[in-house]
Parts: sequence; C-alpha cells; structure tokens
Amino acid sequence: MPSNAVITMQSLSRYYEMGDQIVKALDQVSLEFLKNDYAAIMGPSGSGKSTLMNIIGCLDTPTSGTYDLNGQNVADMDDDELARIRNREIGFVFQTFNLLPRLNCLQNVELPLIYAGIEPSERRERAESALTRVGLADRITHRPSELSGGQIQRVAIARALINKPSIILADEPTGNLDTATSHDIMDIFGELSGAGNTIILITHEEDIAHCTSRIIRLRDGKIESDERR
Amino acid sequence: MNDGMHRFRYESAESFRMALFQIRDNKIRSFLTALGVIIGIVAITMMGTAINGIDSGFERSLAMLGYDVVYVQKSSWSTMGQWWRYRNRPDLKTGYSETINRIIESNPRSELSVAVPQISTYQASVRYLGQTVEQAFALGTNEDYLQTASGDLSEGRFFTPGEAASGDRVAVIGDDISSGLFGETSAVGRTIMLKNTRFRVVGTFRKQGKFLGLFSFDNQIIMPLGAFERVYGKNAFVTMRVKIRDQSRVAEAKEELLGIMRRIRRLAPGMEDDFSINEQKAFKSQLDPIKNGIAAAGIFITGMSLFVGAIGIMNITFVSVKERTREIGLRKALGARRKTILMQFLIESVMICLIGGFIGLLTSLGITLAIGRIVPDFPVSFSLGLVTAGLVVSVATGIASGLAPAVTASKLDPADSLRHE
Repeated sequence: MPSNAVITMQSLSRYYEMGDQIVKALDQVSLEFLKNDYAAIMGPSGSGKSTLMNIIGCLDTPTSGTYDLNGQNVADMDDDELARIRNREIGFVFQTFNLLPRLNCLQNVELPLIYAGIEPSERRERAESALTRVGLADRITHRPSELSGGQIQRVAIARALINKPSIILADEPTGNLDTATSHDIMDIFGELSGAGNTIILITHEEDIAHCTSRIIRLRDGKIESDERR
Repeated sequence: MNDGMHRFRYESAESFRMALFQIRDNKIRSFLTALGVIIGIVAITMMGTAINGIDSGFERSLAMLGYDVVYVQKSSWSTMGQWWRYRNRPDLKTGYSETINRIIESNPRSELSVAVPQISTYQASVRYLGQTVEQAFALGTNEDYLQTASGDLSEGRFFTPGEAASGDRVAVIGDDISSGLFGETSAVGRTIMLKNTRFRVVGTFRKQGKFLGLFSFDNQIIMPLGAFERVYGKNAFVTMRVKIRDQSRVAEAKEELLGIMRRIRRLAPGMEDDFSINEQKAFKSQLDPIKNGIAAAGIFITGMSLFVGAIGIMNITFVSVKERTREIGLRKALGARRKTILMQFLIESVMICLIGGFIGLLTSLGITLAIGRIVPDFPVSFSLGLVTAGLVVSVATGIASGLAPAVTASKLDPADSLRHE
C-alpha cells in the first residue's frame, strides 16, 4: 500500500434489501485515492455512485469489505465515531448547497467547528479566512437568501474547507448552477486541488468531469473504468 | 474530557440560538403549542393558590377561636350533624364556671387558667331609631370574656366586674353592628334596643372577619350574663370557655377539665360523658379530608390539562423533526452526533414549555391579584414555592414531550435525511 493513499477500499459491497430482492448497489469495489487526487466519479443513475459517495463520506457503512480512511478502518465504526470522522476528515459540498437559511455566511461556515469544540474567537477567524479564500470576504454577514447560487455554493465550499479535511467530497456541486457559474466553481476546485487538497466529485456532466485529473466510471455497482489523465 | 466540555457548551449555545430562531419563525405555532402548558400552569398555580388560601384562611379562623381555649358544650364539634346523640343530654348551666374556677384556684398545679360562662343566641335583632340589624349574635358573659377571645376594642371599653355582677344593660358590639346602625359615627354612648330593652353601648370591636367564611365575629353583641337572661331567658345555648395555661399541654388540660365536669355533673365512673369538650383541632380534623379531596381533584385536573398540553408539544415537535429532516441530515454530515441532535430538539421543546410556564405564571399572578382586589376577604397567596413548582413542571413537561421526537430525530439516517425533500 503506497504511503500517500488517503482512501483504500477493498472488495467493498453495499447491498440493500428491497422486499425479498437484494439490490447490489456496490459489488466488490476496490478503489484507492491518493493524496492530492482530483477525481470525478461518473455513471448513469442506479450505477451506485450515490452509494459510493455515501460510503466515502461515512454517511453509510458497507455491507462487506474494508474501507480505510487515513489509516482508520471506517467500516466497523459506530455512529458517534462516524460523526467525528465526518467532522474532521471530510468536507461535504452538495448539489442543493444545504446552507441553513437563518444563519449568515459566517455562522454557516462555523457550524462544523462548533461540532469540533473549537472556541468562538478561533471559529470566527478560521471562517473568515475560509470565506476570503473563496472570494466572499465582503459577504460574511449576508444571509443565504441575499446571495446568488454561485455565491451560496462558494459559502458551502468554504464550510467544507473549514476543518482542513482529508478529502473534499462534492456531490453534483454544479448541478443547480448555470454554465458560467459552474465554471467559476470548477475553477475554485482547481485552485484547491493545486493547493494540495484531495477532491472527489460526483457528476454526470462530461465537461465538469474533464476538469479533473481522474475519471472513475461506474456501472451496475462495479467499476467500469478508472483513468488518470 | 475538557474538549468534550467545550464542545457541549458550544453545541448547547448553538441549540439555544436555533431554538430561538425556530420559535421566532413560527410565532403562532409556538404560541398555540405553549398554550397547553400555559393552561396547565395556570391550573396548577391557581390550584396551589387556592389550597394555600384555604389553609391560611383556615389558620386565621382557628386563631380566632384561640389555641389556648377549650369549649365545654352540650354537643361535640367533631361529630356535628348527629344532634340526636346529644338531644337528651341535660343543659349546661352558666353557674358551672364559678364551680370550675373554685376548683382551679384550690389546685395550684392546675393546667387550667380561668373558666368564663357564655350564653348566646343567633336570633337577636338590634334596633337604633329606624335602623335594625337582624340575626345578630347576642352573647352574655362576664368581665373575664376578653381573656378567652380574640379581638381588640376599637373604641370605648369592655364592661366592668361591677356591671357584670349586677347585670347592667350595657353592651360591647361588633364592627358590622356598629356600622349597620351608626355608619361612620361613633356608637359609644348610644342606646340600642334588644327586643324591648334598652342597652347602652360602652365599646366597639375592631373588624375581625368571618370564621371559615360562615360565622362572623363582627356580628356580636356582648353583654353581662344577667342582662342577657333578662332579655332572652335562661334557655339559650350555654358554653363554658376555659382558658388553659400552656398551649402545648392541651391534652392534659382537657383531661383535668373532663374530671372537673364529671364531678359537677355527678357522673359515676363508667357512665358516659353528658357534655363535650371542644377545641379548634376538631375543625381541623373535620376539614383536612375536605382540603385533601380538593387537592387531589385539583392535581388530577391539572395533570390532565398538562398531559393534553404535552401531547400537543410532542405532536408539533414531531412535525418539526419531519420538516427539518434535511437540516438534521446536514448537521450529521457536518459532524453532529446523535446526542447533539437529541439535545437540540429537547432544548427546543423545553424552551417552548418554559416560555409557556412563564406566561402561565404571569397569568396566574394577574388572576390572583384581580381576585384579591375584587374579594379582599378571599385568602389568596402566591408563593415562591409555587413559582418554582410551576417552572419545574414546565421543564419536566418539555423533556417528557420532546423526548420521543428528539430520539427519532437523533436516529435518522444521515444519507436518507439528506435526500429528503
């Protein structure tokens, strides 16, 4: 195992029971992500990419197989340990942004730090620098309703970055944005990748996928192709 | 560990902030939810106030009877209503008091202090010029009466031993009678009519209020025994008022008095008493079950209204959990643990209940003050204990009603919740 692997999955399967039928959403998948990987996971709907993302993001646990995240075996963890991993190791970016509407940008970005037990002054400092990094230094006290879609997604990216996670996991991050804004967002991901972050994004748009340096295609719960460019 | 404490503090602060947002964003819903608790708390405090009030009014009334006075009468207070048991007892005589006092004086270690005769009727009517007060309580006694009764004179004096001995037609009257006949002007020195006999008013009593709301001490006309018997005859109701030396030795004093009375009545050993020795405690033992009954009924009704309120809160918290499924999923994705989510929803329901509790307490305070203003005689009281109880009950209701929805929320699957529309 190379020392710079962030994620190592071996023979990972996830089955769902639907009535008396067993659906193999993921079937014996083995995959490795290295530090500073910038990867896109693609595939038609039902191919298992959402399931894969949930497992990578520790929102779900595999039925069988092993999943090592930064040297920790995640597959056997209980709820609270998974919560800690999600808090410290993973930064989520969602298609629907998922900011809390009552909180301003700063408060939204600070949220993961509250769950990490970071004290208020440090929270504020780190949230401000994260928002500055995504180009929103002048919007920190705005509410999400006062921002455009692109700006909202940038706040979400700042929130994902705030705890210096091992990986940034983005689920269709441009799915609700127009083309120009999408490219802005992809530029930010490009910069973050350039700065040494490990980024995995899920998309069904070819041009978005082609911004990354590795494309993994899934079909029927198996890896169809995995190419680095 | 220290880390965990910090996290707990920050998470609680965040939950409080979210709960405030939630309540502010759903004002009407929150108010309607809190209404259940408001009504419950008003019910609790009013019930508590009423019970406290009954208690203190009761104590006040018993104090009027005197803790150091026992009453020798034909019938017993503790078995009132069983008049047939006492019907055949011979009447008491006012002269007993002299005998009792002689026996007390001859015994230096007596538990008793003094016996005062009393003869009375409820049917007196008092006239002054054109004015009449009906149903006055006329009472004949001697100069020692004040030693065995509560009440101060507001004006004038009590009758003297000389007046008592010769049965002079002088009277000391209660506040209701003096204001009924003379209004604001002084009664002392005036001449009133009882039946067809003239009496000179020598003193008036300060207002005392009613005994248990039934019998007024302000309705009395007190006169020498001889004068009473001349107007109303000797067949009225006779009581021996006996003052005892030490309130803490009532039982011993009653025992002594019982012996004295049996001697006076010439009862052979083994014969049943043909008189009763009454004290204020008899009322207490009669009224305690009533009081407890009221309390039990009150607690039940209160409990019902709180229960209904709690169901309302549980319902609305379930709705809130459902509505915010995505938020719960997001929080979990960002690192919230089960405990964090559980606490957030509990804090929310407890806060609604506490707000309801505060409003409820304020409402009760208002009602209490209003009652106090309208019916000054009604013994209301609003204690710190009541406030504490109200708030404790509010918090308990919040926890009880928020727990099930909060547990549901904490157990939601994060991946499913994030997909929830």
